Amino acid sequence: MNDIIIDYIKQQLLSGQVDIDLSPEEDLLGSGLIDSLGMIQLLAFIEEKFEVKVPPQDMTIENFMTVEAIGNYLERLKTA
Amino acid sequence: MVYTLPQMVEVAAERFPQKDAFRCNKAAITYGQLHQQMNQLAHLLISLGVQRGDRIGVYMNRSLETAVAIYGIMQAGAAFVPLDPLAPIERIHFLLEDCGIEYLISQAAQRRKLAHLSPTKVKGIIGVKDAGDIPAFDWETVQQVEKTDRPPVNVMENDLAYIMYTSGTTGNPKGIMHTHYSGMSYAKLSASLYNLTAEDRVGNHAALHFDISTFGYFSAPYVGATTIIIPDAYTKIPASLSTLMETEQLTLWYSVPLALIQLVQRGVLEERNLQSLKWILFGGEPFPPKFLRSLMQTWPQAQFSNVYGPAEVNQCTYYHIPAIPTTDDPLPLGYIWDNTEMLILDEQDEMVAEGEIGELLIRSATRMRGYWKRPDLTEKGFFIQTKVPGMPEVFYRTGDLVRLDEDGLLHFLGRKDRQIKTRGYRVELDEVEAILITHEAVEEAAVFSFKNEEYGLLVGAAVTLKEGQNSDEQSLRNYIGQSLPQYAVPQHINITQALPRTAAGKINRKALKQQVSKI
Repeated sequence: MNDIIIDYIKQQLLSGQVDIDLSPEEDLLGSGLIDSLGMIQLLAFIEEKFEVKVPPQDMTIENFMTVEAIGNYLERLKTA
Repeated sequence: MVYTLPQMVEVAAERFPQKDAFRCNKAAITYGQLHQQMNQLAHLLISLGVQRGDRIGVYMNRSLETAVAIYGIMQAGAAFVPLDPLAPIERIHFLLEDCGIEYLISQAAQRRKLAHLSPTKVKGIIGVKDAGDIPAFDWETVQQVEKTDRPPVNVMENDLAYIMYTSGTTGNPKGIMHTHYSGMSYAKLSASLYNLTAEDRVGNHAALHFDISTFGYFSAPYVGATTIIIPDAYTKIPASLSTLMETEQLTLWYSVPLALIQLVQRGVLEERNLQSLKWILFGGEPFPPKFLRSLMQTWPQAQFSNVYGPAEVNQCTYYHIPAIPTTDDPLPLGYIWDNTEMLILDEQDEMVAEGEIGELLIRSATRMRGYWKRPDLTEKGFFIQTKVPGMPEVFYRTGDLVRLDEDGLLHFLGRKDRQIKTRGYRVELDEVEAILITHEAVEEAAVFSFKNEEYGLLVGAAVTLKEGQNSDEQSLRNYIGQSLPQYAVPQHINITQALPRTAAGKINRKALKQQVSKI
């Protein structure tokens, strides 16, 4: 799951940026890798790809800070 | 007497030494600390050879240190130049070169990009422990500087204080030069218009390279208020942002409309208590009334106000929204504010008849000095009227088409040129086109704007390829992303056999717009 998300971010959201070697622990939000529009695109991608619905109150920094955090959150969401 | 921006901090430190000047990520810096640290930074810069008028880059994400950085730079008599931390490295190289920047204030978060800077050009970086071959000075070093008094530099109100870069039409950005006088004029006018007091808690959403940030960074210290710098992560996650707004008990909010639209849509506002908000200011682009209505219903205690003004004059009009809008008509730009006058001129620089459409020109205390090293653009951007001999009155040509209605309200009707605002940022469509056309596979390119309900205007493009050449949307986007910020990279690039033409043979951009409807 992490790889699919990383691939999407690299392909779709990071056009032309330097050093796009992205690890699951990388801070997506604070480092400026993704802007707010990118975040919405990522959310739409996740919802479609993994067939989930992320409620607005779950879309928090804690759940979306890193690819790893997103992965963990999605696991919890699916088993909930 | 107070006539430079750092003197405002000196006064606030005298009056409220223990009060928080800036807060970010639960950390804070008091006016007393800010005063001391800006002087220490200024002394360090001077010891490195920085002189009055030098330009120093501020290459930082939203953080507490940005406040020390800008005030320390100005206290040394230098001008700060915010560098967009999200901008491609090529653009940063251009700015460093164009502006003659030798020293940067930065932070560890920028380390990947700092590694691309050349030690032959950059003489030092402050705010990091290590910068490879470039000398580095961390914040501890700054805080160990023994001298904490005002350095002996005679900074005057008409000296250069900061340069903000904005989109140019030919592929290179241009630097807007502001002085202590124009910056302080803005601080005074805005503090007075929005009744800002030392009790206020200002939410600063904009990054430093965006002129909206001058309210949080200049106007708040002018009255001794506290500015809460919204950390980058929160600007992307509305549900967390609204929690922060509640925790920090913000009294005034100022951002682009998009940030507020996202709060309406994903901010879970029904679960937050934001009764502390007294003012909601927005500017940079039009606010769709549909979302504004919803927000005004959620926060009925707050006064909503539309801010307008190109970065060249910072702000020049205001419109306090009298009641929840009942129609979807765009909001007026409003009234010209104090110490400012306007002209509405036609193509021949003649005054338009009452109620007619023309270009808005602004003469104001907040006007920039000109474009950095571009006297040609400065001359083109100004209109000089001399009514009293020896007293030329300098107006800035906004390029915005307006109409003055019978109630004295200004209305925005479009642009004279092909500049658009996307998510509050200025983008010259011709600049994007000029870059796209240099791609080796591209034969023809047309760049246009298209409308999205939530995001307002976005950039789109269509290209035809040279015979025998191959390319795809992603590689074209990557190519543009190497020289332009992400917000200027087209959301869509349509690779096509032929561009639609009008009967006259011109590229039909209207038809292209209609082909794109979703993000």
